Amino acid sequence: MTYEAVTASTQVVMGYSFWIATGIFLIAYAVIVSEKVHKTVVAIFAASLMIVLKILEQHEAFHVEELGVDWNVIFLLIAMMLIINLMRPSGIFEYIAIKSAKWGRGEPFRIMAIFAVVTAILSALLDNVTTVLLITPVTVLIADALEIDPIPYLISCALASNIGGTATLIGDPPNIMIASKAYLTFMDFIYHLTPIVIVLMVVYLLTIKVIWGGKLRTKDSLKKRIMEMDERGAIKDPVMLKKSLFVLALVLTGFVFHGVLHLQPATIALFGAGLLLLLSKTHEPHHILSEVEWSTIFFFIGLFIIVGGVVKVGLIKWMSVQILDLTQGNMFATSMVVMWFSAFASAIVDNIPYVATMNPLVIDMAKQLWPDLSGFQLLHNPDLMPVWWSLALGACLGGNGSAIGASANVIVIGLSEKAGNKISFMKFMAYGMPIMIITVAISTVYVWLRYYLIRI
Amino acid sequence: MKAKDLIVPLQEYLKPENTLKEAANLLRIAQRGEEKIGVKALPVLDESRKLIGILSIGDILKAVYPSYMYLMELGNFAWDGMVETFAKKATDKKVKELMTRSVITVTENSTLMECVDHMLKNNVKRVPVLDKESKVSGMLYGDVFYEITKAMLDENTEGRK
Repeated sequence: MTYEAVTASTQVVMGYSFWIATGIFLIAYAVIVSEKVHKTVVAIFAASLMIVLKILEQHEAFHVEELGVDWNVIFLLIAMMLIINLMRPSGIFEYIAIKSAKWGRGEPFRIMAIFAVVTAILSALLDNVTTVLLITPVTVLIADALEIDPIPYLISCALASNIGGTATLIGDPPNIMIASKAYLTFMDFIYHLTPIVIVLMVVYLLTIKVIWGGKLRTKDSLKKRIMEMDERGAIKDPVMLKKSLFVLALVLTGFVFHGVLHLQPATIALFGAGLLLLLSKTHEPHHILSEVEWSTIFFFIGLFIIVGGVVKVGLIKWMSVQILDLTQGNMFATSMVVMWFSAFASAIVDNIPYVATMNPLVIDMAKQLWPDLSGFQLLHNPDLMPVWWSLALGACLGGNGSAIGASANVIVIGLSEKAGNKISFMKFMAYGMPIMIITVAISTVYVWLRYYLIRI
Repeated sequence: MKAKDLIVPLQEYLKPENTLKEAANLLRIAQRGEEKIGVKALPVLDESRKLIGILSIGDILKAVYPSYMYLMELGNFAWDGMVETFAKKATDKKVKELMTRSVITVTENSTLMECVDHMLKNNVKRVPVLDKESKVSGMLYGDVFYEITKAMLDENTEGRK
């Protein structure tokens, strides 16, 4: 079938329900961007409208994989939050952060670089939002101890967490969502994204060396404050620490083999959460459960339903036709458009709703290009794979582009504002946007080299 | 026993524009009854003497405590002189920035149990008492506890009789 024939066969009927669903979708996203109403409230209300106005049947919203809530994503998020919340009181994160600062021997830039690397690694293994929550308070403490401005440390941590989170399936919510829709495994991400993220981290470290390397100064007497901190004091519960590390190791091993074991990542994580709850011997699980970020979870649930509505009425299909029109079905051009558009879009909109929309769009695009294929063969078509990786790279790295681009940034900015050092939108962007452009540019070269030139 | 029976009449109060330094000093030397023995909280009144907040020693502690320390267990890693550094930074902050705005109050005719109820449910130990015109007529400090212990002792004495 020629390309023209493909587009001709996919005309979208723009009827009554098309415009209602599109209206709900656009207004909801606009209100989310405006921040006039809390994003979770917007998502829940707009999702309920999709069902009340009969755009989606309740059954479709709750139980149909292509249209409704992606429970794989929801349970993976909840389970990972549970594991981390159970680990936290042991003091492990304080221990790691203080130990890192001491490795830095109290040298301001050395500490910044070590924190960036530790943040990136923890972001890849846990998730970047949690990591930022767990590292930044110590970062500010260290900056206060050295009597230097904490803002460069905070910005550096946020940027590093978004780069590090790109490396794995569980690192950043966009990856979790992409993996679930495209049936990608943990090892697929390790094989395709981790190598480039390592390169990006090296470049990132060199960049912050240029930006902040010469500017951060402190006195030797203040460095002593850091060296006198005893990280062993952080460990409040050594028994629980051992249990947590055992379960975390088990979960990470489970992720590595989940493809071979034919178990979904959510299953592995849920098993880990269940086991750690059991080992913790808690009699009050409601405390730990209440610490799950339900607001984030319901934001996801709402978004899945909203996007399901516009998938059903054909808006997403119409958008995918437009992209194919633009790229004329050239897959390299499509990858590049997806990556760069994703980067800038994720800088403006939260990358979670963005990816929730893009996932079905990529799938629709694939259906138009290869109408004879379906399921795994369609989603894992060798020509489509680079598009998935471009989407992941663009959406995750795009989070660095602005203060609202990623949840990690929002947390860091909130924290610094409370600490009395406000990071303005423009100040964050002055560092974030160039870093975003550098990292996406390098990723562009990577995708071109690996998938279109060398083809491995 | 009612609030008005336990009240410490209003002698001193803070203004929203007072600095933390002034406030801390006043708390330290405030009169309580006849003596200048200091108090643990003072109401903040605006120009029309309307209650707009309360500043307690807890609020002053919060002013020298960096908010990021709430998020993790970092007490072990503080250094000598840290509080002093933050205290110096906080001296010129205004009372209105640091006071607690949602004040739990009782009226002069509130019963002792109502006062205890407010104190326990809201985890406060110092409560402004309002008169009929909703003006602050005084403060109820931990004094209710003395009344409660007195009631216990009285009962015991009765029991011995």
